[in-house]
Amino acid sequence: MRRWALPAAALALVALAVAVLLVVLQPAPAATRQEQARALAAELRCPDCESLSVAESRTAAAAAIRAEIEEQLAAGRSPADIRDTFVARYGEWILLQPMSPLIWLVPIVALLAGVAVFGWWLRGRRPSPSAPTDARDIAAVERQRIRDEADLLDG
Amino acid sequence: MSRLGRWRWLLVPVLVLPISWLLFTGLGRDPRTIPSPLIGKPLPSISGTTLDGAQWDSASLAGKPALINVWASWCAPCVTEHPLLLDVARRDAGRLQVVGVLYQDTADSAAAFKARHGDGGWPDVDDASGRVAVSLGVTGPPETFFVDAAGIVRYHQVGPLTAEVLAQQLPLIGIAP
Amino acid sequence: MIPTLGHVAVLVGLAATLFAAATFAVGARRGDAALVLLARRAMYAAFGLAALASGAMIVSLLSHDFSVAYVVRNNATTTPPFYSVISLWAALQGSILFWTLLATGWAALVLHRFRNRAPALVPWVGVTLALGAAFFFAVMTWPGDPFERISPIAAEGSGPNALLQNHPFMGLHPPLLYLGYTGLAIPFAFGVAALVTGRTDEEWLGIVRRWTLVPWIFLTAGIVAGAWWSYQVLGWGGYWAWDPVENAALLPWLTATAFIHSSMVAERRGTLRVWSHLLVVLTFWLTLFGTFMTRSGVVASVHSFTESGIGAWFLGALAVTLAVGLSLLVWRLPSLGDRRAAGEPVSRESAFLFNNVLFLAISVTVLVGTLYPLAVEAVSGQKVSVGAPWFNRVGAPAFVALLFLMGIGPALPWGGASWRTVRERFGIPILAGLAGVALGLLLGLRQVAPLAAIGFALFVLVVMGDEVVRGARARGRSRGESPPAAAWGLMTHNRRRYGGYVVHAGICVMAVAIAVSATMGTDVTATLRPGQTLTVGAYTLRHDRLVTEPLPDDARVRETRAELTVSGPQSGPIRTALRDYPSSTTPIATPSVRSSFAEDLYVTLLGYDPATQAATLHVFINPLVGWLWIGGALVALGALFAIWPERRRAVAAAAAAA
Repeated sequence: MRRWALPAAALALVALAVAVLLVVLQPAPAATRQEQARALAAELRCPDCESLSVAESRTAAAAAIRAEIEEQLAAGRSPADIRDTFVARYGEWILLQPMSPLIWLVPIVALLAGVAVFGWWLRGRRPSPSAPTDARDIAAVERQRIRDEADLLDG
Repeated sequence: MSRLGRWRWLLVPVLVLPISWLLFTGLGRDPRTIPSPLIGKPLPSISGTTLDGAQWDSASLAGKPALINVWASWCAPCVTEHPLLLDVARRDAGRLQVVGVLYQDTADSAAAFKARHGDGGWPDVDDASGRVAVSLGVTGPPETFFVDAAGIVRYHQVGPLTAEVLAQQLPLIGIAP
Repeated sequence: MIPTLGHVAVLVGLAATLFAAATFAVGARRGDAALVLLARRAMYAAFGLAALASGAMIVSLLSHDFSVAYVVRNNATTTPPFYSVISLWAALQGSILFWTLLATGWAALVLHRFRNRAPALVPWVGVTLALGAAFFFAVMTWPGDPFERISPIAAEGSGPNALLQNHPFMGLHPPLLYLGYTGLAIPFAFGVAALVTGRTDEEWLGIVRRWTLVPWIFLTAGIVAGAWWSYQVLGWGGYWAWDPVENAALLPWLTATAFIHSSMVAERRGTLRVWSHLLVVLTFWLTLFGTFMTRSGVVASVHSFTESGIGAWFLGALAVTLAVGLSLLVWRLPSLGDRRAAGEPVSRESAFLFNNVLFLAISVTVLVGTLYPLAVEAVSGQKVSVGAPWFNRVGAPAFVALLFLMGIGPALPWGGASWRTVRERFGIPILAGLAGVALGLLLGLRQVAPLAAIGFALFVLVVMGDEVVRGARARGRSRGESPPAAAWGLMTHNRRRYGGYVVHAGICVMAVAIAVSATMGTDVTATLRPGQTLTVGAYTLRHDRLVTEPLPDDARVRETRAELTVSGPQSGPIRTALRDYPSSTTPIATPSVRSSFAEDLYVTLLGYDPATQAATLHVFINPLVGWLWIGGALVALGALFAIWPERRRAVAAAAAAA
């Protein structure tokens, strides 16, 4: 049982770390208005360029959206409200993270499936304690030793 | 593995067909066209200074169908659709208001464009800041919004207008061909 | 005349590759060495023909032959010679020609290297590579003819795509990527050959591991170079945007990397054999997928060459490749069982398997993220986007987990480790990692990603360093060598292992650079009139003047640049410009990047007002970005070290002794 303890602990640790990271990597709530504007701009897709956010792009449309975000924040609207305004104009397309929870399941399912395969591989194929050492390994060890000795003679 | 027997052959179509179909559906599409969420909704309130220096506000459209055309002098497809717009503006003068939104351009170039390709006499809102375009959810010129007499957006053309588009969509805003 | 020659070379190339494929197949079935030799020569000829066609295209570009449609679209009389030559891969048809050149080049190289080896596998390798090359020749014959003529002859061309013309790096980044992509056909070809002949033993794995590493180096270098290009040229202050086409390059890299690890287990332990085959098929499929994404116009991206009916051809190739690869695998499944039982849960193979699981999970995630908008549109007609925020959030934890495995995997023995070994090997490294995290906290780091990256990277580095030091010490004692000589002797003695360590060290450096630069940077946007200053961090920038003038080597391009003086850690004059190309409506940025080991000062010109000479600047301070390129270079060098032929060393040693 003991040899299971460590991998189980390691796996649990990794899983925990991944879970914590998933939660913590959420952008921290922005404090100042400027930070809020930035965070919001980073979530919106620049309408007239490819694959860049409004925060990164230097096109006029991106600048206009940044200006509007700042105005609306100054007018006291919440970031969520402002996001909805842009969705109403451009469609969900403007958001760089889709709203559907479906896509968030993908990495989790992929990881779980992988862990299942891993577990299946471990469980199904535990060697018997008396399994002989692989002949090829012995040969490799032997070759390495011979090479080492040859090197020694060379030097 | 072998205990899966013949069923294992199912793996091949199960993996190949969906992904091929998915990529196939992507082939015919233009990744740059985005369906406008504004269709069926009131035109957002837009305003600005026209090239003539006058103030223009979308409230002035009240009760009249309109075409809001987003364009720029540097935009090649805008040249091809321009004669169609001139035709419509002339034919339906009085029933239909055409409004231009000049997108990321200078007044000088716009004037040169009109001198060369014809001036329909409609107001052109100079949207140097891009704010009008952002209010409309524009991604790039040319784009045209078909707005009915009640101020509801009925159709949004991304890319140049064509005679077919005009023939099909103008009736939606109450302009019989 | 010259374009006609190129066109004919393409047609003959198609015939030669089809002939080679058929002859290889017949030769393989009959076991006829003469036929195989003939087929091999046909493939050499195909390479020659692809080179001839590429040469014809380069000459057409250099001589501004405006009877060729491709030249008209991608060249102008004012285009400098260097950019004329690299326009070979600047657009769709030319890039397919270039691709064909590289693919036939790899095929010729591998067939030549194996002219006297692996006689059972090679003919089928030949069939696969020849059919692949034939596909590209066919694309150039029908939908994507690079030598298509126009009549009447144009007086002037439109010049190359402004983005591709803006930086000489375009001469390096695409060829590296293409060498990686096209080279990954070789492992696939050997995989197919192994499955067709039923020789799925370790022979093909041994061959393929090396022949995967070579293109892998190019692919890695290409991806890093692409990031560098994006950073230096696109002017948005970053280096990776999770653009669909960037993802398309990352995907085969992920699966190829997984394969490099799984093949070690398969070779040493006789397990993971189905898995390794599957990875080889997937990797090649993903390279084709990458080309499909760039060339079909399915996605909009900075890189995609949106045109043409070529997409349908690539879609066909994608479906056929996947179907054939999977069918062969399914057919041979019963004989691909594991040769022996797997090892202990705490063993190197176990860590490698978990590494593979993570790599594949990341690949699936990136693939799904890339295709998700397509799927949503196919099902509901809605347009959605999946961009950097999503990829960063799901990718970061997985990559951190990989970093952790990178530390424990190579330090665990094959077969299983005892508690004692684990304690001995990981006690100090864990403490080092924790110390790194503590130091980071003391220095004021509060974000999780950089702290985790630093902690795990230190852990990995100390694990590896500890092992090298121990080995070198033992070696030095036994033969009285000085410590550096002993370390070098140890490393050259087992290049595969220690080359791998260097690669891992490079990845650690990159991980820290990415985590820190992505989370700890600052940026400011400001408009300055001449004489005004802006202070960002430790830097003060003064706007001196705004200059507008044509470029010296291409008068059609107008450059407006802000000349600034920086005072602070890296003082001196800098220039940052916007260039107006006749072929582009939006100006192209030429950012100014000042690098130090600590941080980059990155300044882009967002806009300007000619009347007041005011410049609107976007100033970024990007910490540790320079280390990303250093880490990338380490990765490439480490892999090169790992595959460096042992033979040459022996020869050199003999020469030195004599």
